[in-house]
Amino acid sequence: MTDLKTDVLVIGGGPAGSMAAKWAAKAGAKVLLIEKRQEIGSPVRCGEGMSKDWLSEVGITPGRWINVEVEGARIYSPSEKVFEINEKHAGNEVGYVVERDGFDKQLAIDAANAGVEIKLKTAATAILKEGGRVVGAKVKEFGLTYEVRAPVTIGADGFESQVGRWAGLPTNIAMRDMDTCLQYRMTNVDCDVRYCDFYLGKVAPGGYVWIFPKAEGLANVGIGVQVSQVTSPADARTYLDRWIEKHPGYAKGKKIDMVGGGVSISPPLKHTVTDGLMLVGDAARMIDPLTGGGIANGCIAGKICGTVAADAVRTGNPSKEFFQQYEKGWRARLEEKLYRNWLAKEKLVSLSDETFDKVIDALAGVKLQKLNVHNILKAVRDKYPEVTKEFEAFL
Amino acid sequence: MPSKKSLHIESSGQLCIYCGACVGICPLNCIYLDETRITFDEKVCTRCEICVKACPVGAIEID
Repeated sequence: MTDLKTDVLVIGGGPAGSMAAKWAAKAGAKVLLIEKRQEIGSPVRCGEGMSKDWLSEVGITPGRWINVEVEGARIYSPSEKVFEINEKHAGNEVGYVVERDGFDKQLAIDAANAGVEIKLKTAATAILKEGGRVVGAKVKEFGLTYEVRAPVTIGADGFESQVGRWAGLPTNIAMRDMDTCLQYRMTNVDCDVRYCDFYLGKVAPGGYVWIFPKAEGLANVGIGVQVSQVTSPADARTYLDRWIEKHPGYAKGKKIDMVGGGVSISPPLKHTVTDGLMLVGDAARMIDPLTGGGIANGCIAGKICGTVAADAVRTGNPSKEFFQQYEKGWRARLEEKLYRNWLAKEKLVSLSDETFDKVIDALAGVKLQKLNVHNILKAVRDKYPEVTKEFEAFL
Repeated sequence: MPSKKSLHIESSGQLCIYCGACVGICPLNCIYLDETRITFDEKVCTRCEICVKACPVGAIEID
């Protein structure tokens, strides 16, 4: 196989990669997207819940990949007091439960329609460096090794990202900044297609149990446990199985699929660019540390990344300095919320079950006009003044 | 010098679900995932056991 040349090489065909590829191509760059697997979007490693208010911003049209449009979310405390968040006070934060493989394929189709070249079963095995600058990657396509040279390389290789590490960008995460996750797709369960459900507290130390309904009787039932709170191997599975056993509406269900994975719940990285290289999506640790959701942020940053990539090619300046447009662009759009939610996560993982019960109980009893930290704290303070002492930092 | 503990990643498919959680968290980047196999670099690995905790299904053991 002879070596290839392109303007922009995107490593990884998930949502962030396809989005970056599409917007680079739309802005006039020649783009090659490589995916190590034989199928875009598969295997799914996702709870498949997403908000919907950001889709038009990045040019995604809702399609057949939507399973269910939910009305709201229900947050359960350890003693199963429930606080309902609906569209009225959460705005468009609530949204869809999706078929992730279909969603990812749609984004790849959008990229292809914009002119992106796509290669499956093609893994990056190393990056190419010249004079300290990333100038492409060594790839393996169907067992054949060759080089792809590109002035701009985009690392969109997901949670287990290698590209950033190869280039010397620190992307390591601490144990307290990662959740270990396991999820079953279960049929014959009593889920409510109007809600995504979240169970907090010691049922899932440092994380939560989620129920995301995909249809009547069919739901993704999953768990995230903070790695630093794992005490014995397979805790994620142990806790999830225990939760299911205690809930008759789910204990009677049958599992038809199982997925696992790591989710970063870290503060934003210090650097996501270097000469010739930008990182995006889970590879850049852009997952919301409070919710564990990564699709929206990956797509939003992906659009900015792709646009800057094309500009860098056009101006012949794929330098770290030029890429500050991306670095600053995605931070302006996402960083404040990422950091705020990381602080909130740091606080929440330390709460006792008793405190969770009080917080949810206080919230369940009032009608919040708008869901924000101030209103939440005020509601809790009115009923349990001693509890808000733990939240002084947010007042 | 004491010999290193032994680390075993069960990646024949009996336990491992190839999710990549161990790969993503390994602080030394010495665990590798290709589609049906997970390997680690015996020489680089310090047996810090973070991957043991990160694995959602208990497919990594140290003794």
